[in-house]
Amino acid sequence: MQSTIFVITLVLMAVVGWLFWRAVSAVNGKPAGTNINKRRTQLIWGMVIAGVLISVGSMREWPYAGASEKPVVVNVVGGQWWWEIDKESLPLHTEIEFRVTSEDVNHGMGIFNEDLQLLAQVQGMPGYVNKLYYTFDKPGTYQVLCLEFCGVAHHDMINEFEVVAAE
Amino acid sequence: MMEQTYPYKPQAGAVKLTMLLGGVVFLLMMVFGLALRATQGGLFEIDPAIFYQIMTAHGAGMVGSAALTGAAIMWYFVGRYVNLNAAIYWVFLGLFLIGVALILGSIFYGEFGGGWTFLFPLPAISGGAWDVEAAVAFCFGYLFIGVGFLLIYLDMGYRIAINYDGFLGGLGWRFAWSGNQELAPPPTIIAAASVIVFNSIGIVFGAMVLVASIINLLFPSFVVDPLMAKNAIYFFGHVFINATIYMAVVAVYEIIPEYTGKPWKTTRVFALAWVAIVIFVQAVYFHHLLQDAVMPDWALALGQIVSYASGIPLMAVTTFSLCVYVKGSGLKWDLTSSLLVLGVAGWTLGSIPATIDGMVAVNRLMHNTQWVPGHFHTYLLLGEVAMAFGFSAWLVRGKEQGIRSGLERFAFLSYALGGAGFVLVFLWSGASSIPRRWAIHLESWQFQDRIGTFFAAVAILGSLLIVSRYTLRLMRKGEE
Ligand code: HEM
Ligand SMILES: [Cu+2]
Repeated sequence: MQSTIFVITLVLMAVVGWLFWRAVSAVNGKPAGTNINKRRTQLIWGMVIAGVLISVGSMREWPYAGASEKPVVVNVVGGQWWWEIDKESLPLHTEIEFRVTSEDVNHGMGIFNEDLQLLAQVQGMPGYVNKLYYTFDKPGTYQVLCLEFCGVAHHDMINEFEVVAAE
Repeated sequence: MMEQTYPYKPQAGAVKLTMLLGGVVFLLMMVFGLALRATQGGLFEIDPAIFYQIMTAHGAGMVGSAALTGAAIMWYFVGRYVNLNAAIYWVFLGLFLIGVALILGSIFYGEFGGGWTFLFPLPAISGGAWDVEAAVAFCFGYLFIGVGFLLIYLDMGYRIAINYDGFLGGLGWRFAWSGNQELAPPPTIIAAASVIVFNSIGIVFGAMVLVASIINLLFPSFVVDPLMAKNAIYFFGHVFINATIYMAVVAVYEIIPEYTGKPWKTTRVFALAWVAIVIFVQAVYFHHLLQDAVMPDWALALGQIVSYASGIPLMAVTTFSLCVYVKGSGLKWDLTSSLLVLGVAGWTLGSIPATIDGMVAVNRLMHNTQWVPGHFHTYLLLGEVAMAFGFSAWLVRGKEQGIRSGLERFAFLSYALGGAGFVLVFLWSGASSIPRRWAIHLESWQFQDRIGTFFAAVAILGSLLIVSRYTLRLMRKGEE
């Protein structure tokens, strides 16, 4: 998923960068014609229409709400500088509802797979419980890394849990 | 090329000094940044506590210098249209320096390492790394700087209101509404008035949360709601950092016409774009809270939608207009024109990964990874700073345009290409799920860190040459 995002970003940057370069490097070329304001209007409307489509398309799936009636609840508490996870092994192919909070400052619970690829994250904040829904498709050991700067040992805040096939 | 007359003459001395100060601090902070990147790459070893202190200094120092140079640019050019008060500028600069002294003291004497965002309640709960006094000094430092900004904004806003038939006249909102060209203020005035509106609001919110933090630090029984504090901090932080670029872009409006021979015109589209900017800049900060599931759904959706919308005035108005003005204009490339055009390019291109990160579906995978320093270094290092360097080069320009020595060419290319490599590696690292703000990196991440370090060094070499050239020319001019 991340590599797709990266490639799309690079392509968009390259296209915009190339159009920009083509215009500004033509200092001795032909000046813009009289239809340029029409072009600008088209660009604005094009961006507006694309924006509506992208917004609707990309937010149809709303990750802040769970899909299943009875998810498995896992409570996670962050503190300087540890993670407490109240279950060590979680079931495969089952929606998990992580309820994340903090004992002191803001932390960020990032869930990483065995290749250290980030799968999902949510903030852990004192006084609040943030919910994160996730369904694991692969058994294995997953790591929790802190993704919100929380002081001198922020980078040491690592814990793990297992995902196992349900019996 | 084009000789245009203005009602007033800006006060160059104070601005030249500010740009010197800004340039030197930019360089110093870049070296700090290099130390951070090299440490992540394992090329260098610093204790994590020191790493986070340097990170705090780099963040606060860079944001502060961007704001300082942006404000100097805006104040200089607004001074062409209204009669500004130099005494107030000196007070602003004095308050700024007091703020800097407090911040530096809190970091390097008080060992404060809570990040430039001072996210509540981290300043108060450091796990023993720093004392309450250091955090209080840090917050007071910000307050001094904020008060200084409010002062010059007040002065500029007042003068603009007098000269342009009320503040709404200066904002260009009357013109945008009616389309009556006689009511159209110059682009610089519209930009300045707009920044004054949104950045003053941003600073007031910042000040409120700073004061609340200070009271909480001194009297812990005074409780602050962490979610409210987070909203206020990101609102302030987002608005303030964006304002640096919106102030600096005035240099493009004012200097590029000297190269193209065509004045930057206030059209209705231009005025409407700035109306949109005033609204979008304030409404967009929710994209910083996409991982706070307790936020209301509408706020998170708004964060994504406004992130995208913010790109429209930028791309379709600022960037598009620059392209139209430059194409076929006979513009001559020298250090000034190259840097100003680069500044718009960096800003535009950096907004792409930023907007993509503003999407709910993407943010879950990219938030607080190095994707984030990837996009903001693009529009800051290659955007705001490029505009500030371009403006500085213009301040010490020679009699003729279009002269570019081999060394100047080398300096520009090393800055631009080094900077581009540096930011692209950050984006790559973000896409590789490497967290941001980690003092110690896993071995598997360090290959990328080292490439990033190399590019950073190249960019810094270019910056060193650009700032040295400015300094030497400034001294030579002073002697004349
Ligand atoms: C070549 C020059 C620069 C280098 C080598 C550099 C390096 C870095 C590094 C390594 C980080 C920390 C990345 C991480 O979170 O893992 C960082 C963060 C940051 N940089 Fe830079 N940087 C440079 C230029 C700039 C400029 C020009 C600006 C702004 C005008 C800037 C503003 C920031 C800010 C605001 C942060 C965030 C600090 C935080 O997370 O608390 N940097 N930089
Ligand atoms: Cu942390």
